[in-house]
Amino acid sequence: MKKILIVDDDPIIRNLLEQILEPFAEKDIEILIAENGLVALDIIKEKQPELIFLDVMMPKMNGFEVCQKIKNNPTDKIPYIIMLTAKGQETDKEKAKASGADCYITKPFNINDLLNKVSEILQVNLN
Amino acid sequence: MSKLFKKTLIMIVILFMIIAFTIAISTGWNLYNDLLQEYKSKGTAIAKSIASSSIETLLNRDASTIQAMIDRFLEISGVSYIFVVDANGEIISHTFVPTIPEEISKIKNDKPKDTYVKEIVFENMGIFIDITSPILEGIAGYVHVGMDKSNIIAQIKSAMLRQLLLISLIFIFSIIIAYMLVNKVSQPLNALTDYAKKLTLHDFSSPVDIKSDDEIGLLANTMKSMATDLHEVFDRYEQAINDAIVELQNTLAYLTAVIDNMADGLLVTDTDGVITHVNPALSHMFNMRESDFIGRDCRSIFGDKFAEIVEKSITNSEEIFTTEIELAHKRIGKAVATGIHKDTIQSDEKGIGAVILIRDITSEKEVDRMKTDFISTVSHELRTPLTAVKGFTEIIKKRLEDDIFPNVTTDNKRVLKSILRIRDNINIILSEGERLTALINDVLDISKLEAGRIDWKLENVRPADAIEQAIIATSALFEQKKLPLIKDIDENLPEIICDKDRIIQVIINLLSNAVKFTDSGSVTCRAQKLEDSILVSISDTGTGISETEKDHVFEKFRQAGDTLTDKPTGTGLGLSICRQIIEHYGGTIWVESELGKGSTFYFTLPLKNINDVSDISKITYNNIEKEYK
Repeated sequence: MKKILIVDDDPIIRNLLEQILEPFAEKDIEILIAENGLVALDIIKEKQPELIFLDVMMPKMNGFEVCQKIKNNPTDKIPYIIMLTAKGQETDKEKAKASGADCYITKPFNINDLLNKVSEILQVNLN
Repeated sequence: MSKLFKKTLIMIVILFMIIAFTIAISTGWNLYNDLLQEYKSKGTAIAKSIASSSIETLLNRDASTIQAMIDRFLEISGVSYIFVVDANGEIISHTFVPTIPEEISKIKNDKPKDTYVKEIVFENMGIFIDITSPILEGIAGYVHVGMDKSNIIAQIKSAMLRQLLLISLIFIFSIIIAYMLVNKVSQPLNALTDYAKKLTLHDFSSPVDIKSDDEIGLLANTMKSMATDLHEVFDRYEQAINDAIVELQNTLAYLTAVIDNMADGLLVTDTDGVITHVNPALSHMFNMRESDFIGRDCRSIFGDKFAEIVEKSITNSEEIFTTEIELAHKRIGKAVATGIHKDTIQSDEKGIGAVILIRDITSEKEVDRMKTDFISTVSHELRTPLTAVKGFTEIIKKRLEDDIFPNVTTDNKRVLKSILRIRDNINIILSEGERLTALINDVLDISKLEAGRIDWKLENVRPADAIEQAIIATSALFEQKKLPLIKDIDENLPEIICDKDRIIQVIINLLSNAVKFTDSGSVTCRAQKLEDSILVSISDTGTGISETEKDHVFEKFRQAGDTLTDKPTGTGLGLSICRQIIEHYGGTIWVESELGKGSTFYFTLPLKNINDVSDISKITYNNIEKEYK
């Protein structure tokens, strides 16, 4: 069973993403939730999700650090990471790329674009 | 003794010696000739007298009589010897004591016809003048009388000695008189010399006691009046110099006060980067004493970066160089270095040093950092709720359209009307959400542009590519309004060096504006190469802009149309952002428009970045500043 992990400290955004990804849940894809980077790292180790939505601005450990930790782990299966950021700074894009993120999406995002992207990555046809 | 006298004395002595010796020699010569003549005639007289009176006695061979006679003649002064020979050359009588000298044998046989004079040298006795006189024409014999020549020389010597002595005495006497005379002349001259010496030492008050009417007295008087004049002149100059010194001191005190009371730190170095001056503010900034700076190389105190700008400013008078520098107490300073050059020094020479101003920019840096933080915080704080609003609205819309509305099976008109309203309202929320997103993006863009927080990429950009990408991005808008886009792009446009994304942003902005204000007709995009730039224009056949509004369209939050009656459909920041971007590259942006007929927006991008290499190598103030940040 394929898994998607949502990492965001904001419960509303977590809730929103969960609802947006509902069509995938209906296709037997497990949606996992983590409210910070440390929890996320535990879940990744345990469940090995294929796709991760990773918020940048989080307390304790920011998204870039989490991303680096995941990508530098040689043993586990390396997941596809989509960075979600509310910061429109040019430097953030560079940082995301440097920390190993596969994709960078600025909030607010377009739901259809997001769904199309996920379908493509997980190779699941929603229609 | 005066020097003047000493000099002349040597000359006089030499001259005197020449004259004295000349006179002595000439006198001696004359005396010699006279004495010689006298001896000869005396000898001749004696010889003749003996000859005449001795004829008989000689014929009688009475030698003793002759002997007595010649002995008598021997007493006459100058006569040395007398001898008488007979016709055969035999000496009859003579006066030689004790023996006849050998040399006599050479002359005793001389047989002259008349009285004859010749010189003869006797060994051990000297030179003699021998006068031979024949007795009875030589038949009876000859008389020889010898006059002592050394006697003559002795006389001459003593005469010359006496003469020299006399002349010398006269000379010494004259010298003494001359000395006294010269002394009398040189004494006032010496006094004048002393006076002049005192004048050169600026002692104008000392007296000079010369009261003669001659030239020296005149000179003394002239010197006195000259001294008075000089005194006055010196007094005047001294006063002027004192005034100038006071003025200089005041100016210096003023400048020192200005420098010492400056809030900024000031540091001066010589051409080798050695610190020559610092002000109290600078000492305070680095928490060091003034003496800790003076004479030290600025590199050893402030590090390489600082030394580098100092070096650059010394060799380059035209520009200002800046760097940031760490101050004491973890504060940050900004150092601005300028070369010090005198106007008289030629520009290719090194100047006389550098002056560096250091300003504490800790608070400015803090404000700058806060501004950046603020931008990113605002961005985050606005986008997160907006994401939720937009996202959930879309989900609501989806759920309504997919699950709710199809299952409403009622004929109640009120319910059906509500469904239509809800659909409308949700669409409004979504489009306003889009507008809010655009606004936030634009506000952030403009604040970043104004704060200089944009990282401008430098890449080779083909203008045609940028235009094409912008057209693709806006194609949906054209489709929506069913407007045709006419392209007129020169395919041979040269590449430009700029940030491609920013140029695309400008074109998208202009294209979407054109579509927004045009309901029918077309939009035309043109691009062509000018002499040293690229000109891009976007024309529409829309509402156009009035003359008064034309001047304001590039201002922030300005839009064509009356904001009270017309519903604004954009953020009002797009054109302002466009202008900021174009002007960053040294280009210009402007609009030509006629109300009701449409507008054309133009912008140029200069080509100098790639073509004019020398322009790139020329480092401008801004670039330098960036370099050291």
